[in-house]
Amino acid sequence: MLDYESMMINMKKQYKLNSLLKLNQATVTRLNNLGIHSGSKIKVVRFYPFHGPVIIENNHQRIGIRYSVFKILTSGEENG
Amino acid sequence: MADTIALIGNPNTGKSSLFNSLTSTHAHVGNWSGVTVDKKLGKLKGANTTVIDLPGVYSLDPLAKDEAVVADYLMHNEPNLILNITNANQLKRNLMLSLDILELGYPVILVLNMIDSLHRTGRQYNLSILKDNLGCKIIATNARGHYGIKDLRNEIVKRGDFKEGPLKIAYPEIVQQAIRQVARDLVKKFGFTLQKATWLSIQYMNKNKYVRKYAESHHLTPLLEQTEYYDRQDFNNKILTRRLEFINKLLAEAVERVNGVNDIEISNQIDRVVTNPILGVLIFILILFLMFKLSFDWVGTPLSDYFDSFISGPLSNTFDNWLIQVGAIPALRSLIVNGIIAGVGGILAFIPQIFMLFACIAILEDTGYMARAALTMDRLMQVFGLNGKAFIPLIIGFGCNATGVMATRTIEQPKERLVTTLIMPFMSCSARLPIYALVTAAVFPQNQALIMLGLYLLGIFVALFMAKVYEVLFKVKENSTFVIEMPDYHVPRLDVLFHSTWENGKGFIKKAGTIIFAGTVFIWLLSNFGPAGFITNSSGSFAAIIGRCLVPIFAPIGITSWQIISSLFTGVLAKEVITSSMMVMFHTSSQAVLVANLTQFISPTTGLALLTFILLYSPCTATLATVKQETGSNKWMIYSLLSSTLIAYIVAFIVFKLSSLII
Repeated sequence: MLDYESMMINMKKQYKLNSLLKLNQATVTRLNNLGIHSGSKIKVVRFYPFHGPVIIENNHQRIGIRYSVFKILTSGEENG
Repeated sequence: MADTIALIGNPNTGKSSLFNSLTSTHAHVGNWSGVTVDKKLGKLKGANTTVIDLPGVYSLDPLAKDEAVVADYLMHNEPNLILNITNANQLKRNLMLSLDILELGYPVILVLNMIDSLHRTGRQYNLSILKDNLGCKIIATNARGHYGIKDLRNEIVKRGDFKEGPLKIAYPEIVQQAIRQVARDLVKKFGFTLQKATWLSIQYMNKNKYVRKYAESHHLTPLLEQTEYYDRQDFNNKILTRRLEFINKLLAEAVERVNGVNDIEISNQIDRVVTNPILGVLIFILILFLMFKLSFDWVGTPLSDYFDSFISGPLSNTFDNWLIQVGAIPALRSLIVNGIIAGVGGILAFIPQIFMLFACIAILEDTGYMARAALTMDRLMQVFGLNGKAFIPLIIGFGCNATGVMATRTIEQPKERLVTTLIMPFMSCSARLPIYALVTAAVFPQNQALIMLGLYLLGIFVALFMAKVYEVLFKVKENSTFVIEMPDYHVPRLDVLFHSTWENGKGFIKKAGTIIFAGTVFIWLLSNFGPAGFITNSSGSFAAIIGRCLVPIFAPIGITSWQIISSLFTGVLAKEVITSSMMVMFHTSSQAVLVANLTQFISPTTGLALLTFILLYSPCTATLATVKQETGSNKWMIYSLLSSTLIAYIVAFIVFKLSSLII
């Protein structure tokens, strides 16, 4: 698991999302609604402390998600 | 049939703002999802056309309750024209909804709103390529800057030459064939038009929850029998993939580079500060503080005081003298001066404060700050088993609980929505202000603001405590979801603020004219009539008799005055009525006189217990009715009434006992 410090370093990284399969249906639907599908590329704009929300950016669109969702979304591959 | 236009679009596309520009009557506009909690009607300026503003939705497949409104509308209505409002800067995902609509085959004008922010990113779209491929009219607008509105209105009025028939997307042959087959059956057996049957089939295959439910309740067997096949063959993913391909190809063709200013986005700059984990929270507290200062200290209260002195002074006296001159009987004079003017007027004096509060909420909505607030609060709200999205409705609850309950519709998860609804009445609404102001003025004249702040905080504390209890009872954690769009910041538009404040505030004035008026007259009757008929000494009145019966129940929390108890009862009608009933019970139209009266009846400890009880006890009838409407059951309405009254009694008892020890 990434800790806060190393996440701050990862801020500039772009993540390519693998699969949304492990998320619950409502979350997947919402992410799809906002233009995020498996294979989408996202950038992290901000992490909140204490595993708080994460603001990501995709296609000029900023979206707030929970840390747990972010972890599932970005588990596995990431492109620098 | 009357000419009808429906406005449909994603949240944060400036849809409601456009609605305001197009119509002469106005809806509530905001900058976060779900401001339009139900459909709003307006009249197109200069034409006999009804415009319907539907809630912002991402797709026709409803996830939250407000989204079902759109699917439901399209299922049961046939608008003459649909205005599909999109955020030009986010066209790719906005078009997903457009496809849903275009497949339905009604005439559509696709509005590329916020075109200015697209241009700022150095892009624009070739409108004729979009038009040819989508088969609908395209108009670019910037509703906030009033750009393109005239063209749009002309296009609406002109109408004419719309391409016949729905948009056809080349779905895989296996899907196409299934659509043809089942649509034919639906036409034959159920009398749908081919167009609607086709659309219905696509939506059904696409797992649209509303359409699936509709098919079940209407026994659309051709669809029901094939459900397993559709799902096994992954039809919904096949449809989604083909739609995405369609959109990507179209936009790749239509996009053009322009000399973008490519300026450092102001929104990003602001967000760097506002969503800063530490600074963000401080800013948030500061904004709340300013909101309360503006409403209750700097602007609202001085205006209210001025207003009150006018009503209880010159206005009341003029009427009184005039009634004496025309020789009105004492009972009628008492009804008008001590009943209606005192009751209704006493409430109207609070208009400045309440409008100020609504104006502050409108500013937060219109600038785009609300979404940030929800995000900032999500982690904390989770601790109490709530969703960050509950935060906005709860803040609205400070204005009015009934509106707050309606705003919970944006919370996707039903259990989280229910919990938010149940704790809503503990948010101290603006209608409770008058009575707080009175009681604190009577008992704690030096520390009014402090006591009021304490009440708000106590309400929040009880709300969060109950949320935690419900979280455990209802197992809320399962399936919780929180994904929120962060719209760009906007400088609030004055006309939007004005209309939003007016839309919310006018409900209060309306209440003053109806339920409060009726309540006041009723209370006047109860307190001026007794078993012996019309009386001048209210201690022999019906109100006194009822109040005295209840004294033993209220004695443990220190309240022994029958006048106050009777007033509390009337507060269930509407919280503002408590004040007006007291005015009637104590036979005065002046707040100053009432305050002096109250000082004799309540001690500081009783005052605290009374304020606590008023804060927490039964929600008003409007809120109860909304709870019933939103939860769809009487059970939760009754539960809300009983539980909050019980909680109020217990907490007031604790406050009374504790403060007796201290004071």
